[in-house]
Amino acid sequence: MLKKLIVFLLIGTLGYTLAVTFSSIPIGANRIGSLDNPETVAAYYLDKSPNDLKVANTITAVVVNFRGFDTLGEVSVLFLAATGLASILYRKEEEEEEEENKRHISHRLNLPSSSLVQTGAKILFPLILLLGIYVFIHGHLTPGGGFQGGAIIATGFLLMLVSYKGFKNNHKIMVWLESLAGLGFVGVGLYGLIRYGSFLQNTGWTGNLNDLVSGGLIPLIYIFVGIKVATELTNVLDILLNIKSRRK
Amino acid sequence: MVITPVHYIVAPLIAAFAIPLLIKIHKDAARIVPGIVLFYNVIVSLFLMNHIAEHGMISETLAGWQAPWGINLVVTPFTGFLATMVSILGFIIWLYGYRFKRTLKGGEVKYYEILQMMMIAGSIGIIITGDIFNMFVFIEIVGISAFSLTAFYRSRDGAEAGFKYLLIGGFASAFLLLGILIIYTQTGTLNMAQIAERMPDVPQQMKIVALIFFLVALGIEAEMFPLNGWAPDAYSQAPSPTSATFAAVVSVAGVYALIRVVFTMFDVEGVNNYLMVMGFVTMLIAEIAAISQKDLKRMLAYSSVGQVGLVLIAFGIGSNLAVFGALFLMLNHGVIKSLLFMAGSYFIYNTDDKKIKSLNGIYKKLPIVSFFFALGALAIIGFPPFSGFWSKFYILISAADEKYVFLIIGILLVTIIELTYYLRVVGRIYFAKQEGEPASHKPSINALVAMSSLALFIIVIGVYPDLIMPHIQSAADALLDKSNYIQQILSIKN
Repeated sequence: MLKKLIVFLLIGTLGYTLAVTFSSIPIGANRIGSLDNPETVAAYYLDKSPNDLKVANTITAVVVNFRGFDTLGEVSVLFLAATGLASILYRKEEEEEEEENKRHISHRLNLPSSSLVQTGAKILFPLILLLGIYVFIHGHLTPGGGFQGGAIIATGFLLMLVSYKGFKNNHKIMVWLESLAGLGFVGVGLYGLIRYGSFLQNTGWTGNLNDLVSGGLIPLIYIFVGIKVATELTNVLDILLNIKSRRK
Repeated sequence: MVITPVHYIVAPLIAAFAIPLLIKIHKDAARIVPGIVLFYNVIVSLFLMNHIAEHGMISETLAGWQAPWGINLVVTPFTGFLATMVSILGFIIWLYGYRFKRTLKGGEVKYYEILQMMMIAGSIGIIITGDIFNMFVFIEIVGISAFSLTAFYRSRDGAEAGFKYLLIGGFASAFLLLGILIIYTQTGTLNMAQIAERMPDVPQQMKIVALIFFLVALGIEAEMFPLNGWAPDAYSQAPSPTSATFAAVVSVAGVYALIRVVFTMFDVEGVNNYLMVMGFVTMLIAEIAAISQKDLKRMLAYSSVGQVGLVLIAFGIGSNLAVFGALFLMLNHGVIKSLLFMAGSYFIYNTDDKKIKSLNGIYKKLPIVSFFFALGALAIIGFPPFSGFWSKFYILISAADEKYVFLIIGILLVTIIELTYYLRVVGRIYFAKQEGEPASHKPSINALVAMSSLALFIIVIGVYPDLIMPHIQSAADALLDKSNYIQQILSIKN
């Protein structure tokens, strides 16, 4: 009883302190300031991204250009998460064989989805892919971008994996896409390093604001990010679904 | 400048993304490519150290935006020293592990090598970045790789250790993000130099709350008591080269992050005393726990945590000499503990279980490895003429200078404890009665080269510490000279 009381007191004190602290932060208030008298770095970003970078979506400019190195890091985090998951959950060859043998003997619960779901999935799948590609190609113009577009594409693959038992991703293409998208991102960065002396630096040619082809290398990077995220997330789904089928 | 700090990160990333393709061309690519990359990082380190010795510190801007708006990578004598140390140790650990994982099949090797390489690259990233959010990203990279490698053997215990590490690491990330959020709302910037510059204007309450978030989050990474519950499990369950990496690379990066935040970003009174007290408690509890361990790798893990405690004590004292001692100890601990893990893993490889009691008389089976283990054990206790002696010596002197009598008593007491448990193992190796058949797993040549280069370092630095001391001294000066750091970063035009 006393122990519980002490724990409650401790949590109460902690909660009170945090509540007081966080409530004194004016979240949502306009604290950007002006370019001459900036309170945060935001003023500079808001000025530079439409004027210098010709990117309509300031968030994209921040994510891909100003803080592009962080994005490269996050893409690698995703890549490492998929790699780590694969390293823990992959199946050894003999295990796979064993399982194949078992499959013949035991009568596995392997009911296909209803034809309603299957037909629906077949119609929706290309549309979902199209939406995903649209989202990451227009990342510099409209809300969304590589991460969102990639996640949308992965949901399309999830739909197919769930509705068709036999649906298999083409691993060869996936591996190539995954690696080339990552290398493409780094390659764009290296282009900046070699050409202008700063990693990930944008080109001088940026086009007109609000054009599809504008913002220099920013849309290109977001396309690479989109492909990378889509393939990584699909890989993760693939690994997890395979494990589930083994356990039965 | 031909080589810039960003090469540290870009080279491993290219390799990590390309290995799945390269493995189709040559099946050993997954083993060889990380070695080339880690060796390249050693070259980058040496080049940059040479460059800053002549031209002063480097602050590289990324994406072409100046420091507060873009991300910058900073190489000062301090960060350069740590990055050099981490990259050299990383390469030696790769060399050691090159044949160690021969038993694994193709696919597994790929995963292992990519994760191991990115863990080292991420640690270097934590050290050289000048941006607090970028540091968060690198901590994530190190964390994700470390969780997966801990559970790599897919045993029950390994999975438990990995899951524990994952949970507590997740906490660390969340707390770190909250801390960064508070700092950003108060200062409007993420650049560490600019945060430090604006810190005096931040209300005291905000400062304290943010600092607590940072201390909890980075305390987990730096293995500070009571946040180090994951460490013994993770160290003992991970593959041995990974355990050595945890001790030599990941804990260095964790301590660096803690020190950078406490020393450079915040100006809160009394945080030094906090570090000192927590370091003291960490050291005492870990060393006492180490005595009662029956498992060799667990014992080494507790000893690592104890050494980190000593490092924190020295940073807590905060005088120039103490910081010097702390950096020297970080270097020594990285080298010696990698050697101990490398030698220890060959013992484990040749016995049925991981227990200390099965090491009886193993020196007849593995004479060279036993010699390296004994050397490492003596060096980490602090026997002269090994390098471990000097770091402990300078920390004791600095404690005496500041008249912290209880610290001196504590450190000496802990030395006796260390003496007990290390010599117990060494005694078993050399003097206990031998049983069983000859060794089935002889150390491979590359492992011997890796271990002897570490042993050579221990002896050479022990006999002639002046070789390395000027570098450590300038590193300590660079860490303590906060105003110079701020001024340089905010004024450098690339």
